[in-house]
Amino acid sequence: MNTSVLPPPKPKRWKSFWIKTVSILLFSVLIGWSILGIAGGLNIERVFSMTTIERAQTVIPQLLQLNGEQFGRIVGLIIETLAIAFTGCLMATVFSVPLGFLTAKNMMGNTWLGQVVHSFFKVWLNATRTFPEILLALIFVASIGPSPFAGVLAIAIGSTGMLGKLFGETIETVDMAVVEAMQANGANKVQILFYAILPQVIPEFLSYAIYRFEIDVRASTILGVIGAGGIGTLIVISAANRNWGEVGLIVLCIIIVVTVIDYFSAFIRRKLV
Amino acid sequence: MIECKDLSLVYPDGTQGLKNVNITINPGEFVVIVGLSGAGKSTLIRSLNRLVQPTSGGLYIDGENILSLKPNELRKLRTKVGMIFQHHNLVKRNTVMKNVIAGRLGYVGTLRSLMNLYSKEDRSLAYENLKRVSIEEKVHTRADQLSGGQQQRVSIARVLTQQPNVILADEPVASLDPPTSHQVMNYLRKINREDGITTIVNLHFIDMAMEYADRIIGMRAGQVVFDGHVSEVSERTFEDIYDRKIKEDDLRGGNEPYESNKAITS
Repeated sequence: MNTSVLPPPKPKRWKSFWIKTVSILLFSVLIGWSILGIAGGLNIERVFSMTTIERAQTVIPQLLQLNGEQFGRIVGLIIETLAIAFTGCLMATVFSVPLGFLTAKNMMGNTWLGQVVHSFFKVWLNATRTFPEILLALIFVASIGPSPFAGVLAIAIGSTGMLGKLFGETIETVDMAVVEAMQANGANKVQILFYAILPQVIPEFLSYAIYRFEIDVRASTILGVIGAGGIGTLIVISAANRNWGEVGLIVLCIIIVVTVIDYFSAFIRRKLV
Repeated sequence: MIECKDLSLVYPDGTQGLKNVNITINPGEFVVIVGLSGAGKSTLIRSLNRLVQPTSGGLYIDGENILSLKPNELRKLRTKVGMIFQHHNLVKRNTVMKNVIAGRLGYVGTLRSLMNLYSKEDRSLAYENLKRVSIEEKVHTRADQLSGGQQQRVSIARVLTQQPNVILADEPVASLDPPTSHQVMNYLRKINREDGITTIVNLHFIDMAMEYADRIIGMRAGQVVFDGHVSEVSERTFEDIYDRKIKEDDLRGGNEPYESNKAITS
């Protein structure tokens, strides 16, 4: 007889049992409380009334009856949207390279000053990242007027927050042994940067920048809603005129453009790294 | 000539890396430093081009105290003291040529090197050195496409392109298999013989040390515990250096003379 040996039973941990029970209870209470809160203000009869269905029935088929009268203008505005995303992303990429070096621990050394500078820029980037693009765009539209440039600045600053952080983290993964090898053959700081560090990080930098461009295209379609240029303005105007056919065409164009860009971005990034 | 006088090094965490090291290395010698890991071999070799900073004593290369060099002078010194590392430390995404020409960085101006404007002489020197380690057909291949032994040969070519007076090699064969290890060591010895470049190699394999060295320096706990010509060395010497019996692990083996080795040494 072959007696199979079972592993010893897992020791029961009362502590974790209590933590689990209490957290499940707390979670259920929280859910119940939120449902009760909604139920008071929610008019279920209105949501599921005939008017809702009738309205949906009028709007949705109209969305599908594409209205091509303004097709030329739509294409022009989509190109503007792409231009906003591209310019903003390019600016962000350029700014993020020095910021990346300033936030990389291995580049700033162990000196007191280096650590202060490192933490300062880290906090700065974190602060930038907390603003959504639309909020930044509101600020810029208010300060420099409604123009595509406001959108570019909003995209640039929003993207710098993310790209700076990612670039910094990439630089932290650099193989410092190669840097040491260059030091050992008498290269100076600038030569080390160009011969040992940049070749290791540039493909990743480009890959992140292209990925961010993808995000920026999606973000910039909405910026026009508040007057920061791009296709968003036309969406608002058409919707206000209840020209659902045109809204449908715009949405379709955006879907096509974003899909194509996503596809190419994935393709290029695969080739890069 | 390299002279260490009472050279000591204490790391910031208090570890004693070197303790009163006194050695003199003559031009053209092939010296192998042996010892267990942590004995201070790497620390000693890295002190010689000041990748680590000794804390007391004197270190003289051709009579000049290199412990007091300013950054600029230090860079000049490093162009004359080449270094080979265990993990070859090539830029993996760059071509072999770009890696080898990096050996000229200490000589050419910053701007020229950034624009990739190397003189004809520099480029032909780099190519000649690739030929010397028989890897010239890989000149335009990316470094990450090469095997470990090939990468180590490229790093030898890089060091040669520096035209150094001294080559330091920190465990150059520790991550290679036995036949490749012998191949790399053969190249190092051949270069030492032909060009008269002083060569200092860290090894922990006893048989390889015996085979390639002119002179063996034994280290234990940061101190030099043996220093003598290879003919004075016996198994007993190694047991003294290692402070224990010799084990199988201390031997690299694998020196059945194999074709490409013969070709190199003949």
